[in-house]
Amino acid sequence: MGSITGGSLIARHTRKTRPADEVNRDVPSQRIEPGLKEDLLAQAGTLSQETAQLKSIAVAFERWHQDMISLSQQNREMHSQGDDLSSIVRQLIMLSLNAAIEAARAGDAARGFVVVAAEVRSLALRAQALSQDLSKSLHKNDLAATATFQDIQAGGKMMMAAISGLESKLGQLRGKID
Amino acid sequence: MLFSDQNRRGLVSVFERCARASLLRSQDDLFEISSAPAASAAGGSLLIITTSSFAFRLLTIFHVDDNEANRGYFVPAGSGLSLQDSFAEVANLCCGALNREIAPCFPHLAMSIPCRLSARCLEHLPQLNPDYTAGFKININSAASIGVTLCMCCTAAVEIPMTLTAVQQSSGELEMF
Repeated sequence: MGSITGGSLIARHTRKTRPADEVNRDVPSQRIEPGLKEDLLAQAGTLSQETAQLKSIAVAFERWHQDMISLSQQNREMHSQGDDLSSIVRQLIMLSLNAAIEAARAGDAARGFVVVAAEVRSLALRAQALSQDLSKSLHKNDLAATATFQDIQAGGKMMMAAISGLESKLGQLRGKID
Repeated sequence: MLFSDQNRRGLVSVFERCARASLLRSQDDLFEISSAPAASAAGGSLLIITTSSFAFRLLTIFHVDDNEANRGYFVPAGSGLSLQDSFAEVANLCCGALNREIAPCFPHLAMSIPCRLSARCLEHLPQLNPDYTAGFKININSAASIGVTLCMCCTAAVEIPMTLTAVQQSSGELEMF
């Protein structure tokens, strides 16, 4: 994207600045020097081109939008996997509890198995805590992703409205110079 | 402070007016709004709409339980719509009204489409580093009931004029000063 070379225009404009009501009173008799008029029109043309190029930011917004949709989809899949994991962990806890009960019933002969069953239960409980943490993290991600997704969506509309406003004002400016 | 106490009251006042105008099917219906903890949703789903400007983003989060009273009030008879879909339209109207009310103060304000999330996300609101959060409970005709959380995240100082100055003393309504 090219740069706007408007330093000299700004300097000239600044020298000519007067209170708005005074300027408005003088409008009918005010004439723009031919050289200045062409300069102003050329600069307004450059600004129009830059503004038109800015509109391509919509493509970037659309890309971010699609990325956020993918991210949300991945989050949903991870929720589903998390639910499966949670279900497995619940079954594992029940299984380890049953194993401990059966080992206790078997008496001294299954003393070693009591220890194994207790270890399995301990691991299952740790897996349950991890599964709950994972679920919490996924909900945290959901909120952050949705807030960002919506901000990008609203931001895109905001930028396009701002660019359209700029285009409209540039059109008015060119009309006045002409 | 990017969002002063006065601006907070201004936002709440505007929100209350927009909620009253958009959520009621008839303006004769009884509308009661009271403060509630900002992250008080126990279960179910949330409906979120974001209003963004260059200076802030405002998340308006609705929590509507799928029960007979809410379905009876928000789902048009014979429409065949779910409560979630019907309420999304109502919530959109409410945020659209809010958008229009504050638009004169902020150039290029824009609004997202509604998104649905688990109510378990609400407890993580602090991670967005909000400058202000406020929770409300809205009852309509002492039957239908919704929860709303406003979450304002500012990147610059935000001024929302206090346009509703009347002290509303009616039972169950917010008091504005």
